[in-house]
Amino acid sequence: MKLHQSQGILVVTGLQELNATNAASVRDGIRGSVTPEVTGVDIDLSKTRFVDSSGLGALIALHKLMLARGGQVRVLNPIPAVEQVFEITRLNRLFEVVKL
Amino acid sequence: MKVILQCPVSAAGVPALSRKRPLVLSPFLGETALAHTLAGLSGEGAKHVCLQAGDRIAEVLRAVGGGEIWGLKITGPDEREFAGARRFVLDSLPQAPGLPLWTSYSVWFDAQMALLERMARQRVGMRELSPGVYVGLRTRLAPDARLTGPLWIGDNVFIGPGAVVGPRAVVEDDSYLDDGSEVVESIVGPATYAGSFTELRRSFAWGRELLQLDTGSLTEVQDRFLLSDATPPKFSLTRLWKQWRQRFSTP
Repeated sequence: MKLHQSQGILVVTGLQELNATNAASVRDGIRGSVTPEVTGVDIDLSKTRFVDSSGLGALIALHKLMLARGGQVRVLNPIPAVEQVFEITRLNRLFEVVKL
Repeated sequence: MKVILQCPVSAAGVPALSRKRPLVLSPFLGETALAHTLAGLSGEGAKHVCLQAGDRIAEVLRAVGGGEIWGLKITGPDEREFAGARRFVLDSLPQAPGLPLWTSYSVWFDAQMALLERMARQRVGMRELSPGVYVGLRTRLAPDARLTGPLWIGDNVFIGPGAVVGPRAVVEDDSYLDDGSEVVESIVGPATYAGSFTELRRSFAWGRELLQLDTGSLTEVQDRFLLSDATPPKFSLTRLWKQWRQRFSTP
């Protein structure tokens, strides 16, 4: 996982999967990088092959964190299979799913 | 009348349908496309069918048996006795010859919607609860489930409280839609569990597999509380315990 900050947005890239094995470390890694000047988190899921409920839980935890700070979490370019998981769980209504 | 029935091996438009089973055994309004075809051919006067399938022929022949339930005699691919017989390619059903089945997932879905009412009226035990809403035998519906036609709900299905099903949906036999789930413009395959508050739109869910009808994207859902196979296990300790208790408690 790679993190870089640009104009107040924390961009997360290079996630191969987001599941029970790495969800906690991803969540804590991103949480630790959310400095006071960060107003939004963009999570690039273009390389993510699959997401399970633990991964979704990590995203929801980050969403709550950013909401408390007045910011938001966006999901970028999920592959169709991952997008389907967002749809079946209705999380596409909670997160802004951006396709660039 | 003798008929040579040719089952397509697979179709470029619907590759995911032949993953679990041969294409002709994919679910189609409470049966398989093959079962509907045999019923249609029988209705047209066929008596002897030569079944030809390039993909898993043993499984296809096992699924139809000898053909007795359709009043047919079904034999394997050898067509020596079938000189001059009619050939039927299972690209559409005999009941609707102009309606293609396998061009794309949307076409496959639309074919089911087009035939829903007609097939529902022919199915034994199926009743129309409200306009366009057909429900099979031993199906339990929560009083506050919202059902909108056209809708097919098969036999032995459970629809939980607050569920929204339809319009344009098929829930196949032995499936379980948990509380608050939504199935709109979608098909839930046989013996499939859809968990609480899951939402299916323009999708085909069968066991843990979830197929998007418009894009053809197929994913296997990792979490069983969202989507899973609801086939009862062949070996169950609970079942054995019940049988044992019943046996020894009977005077």
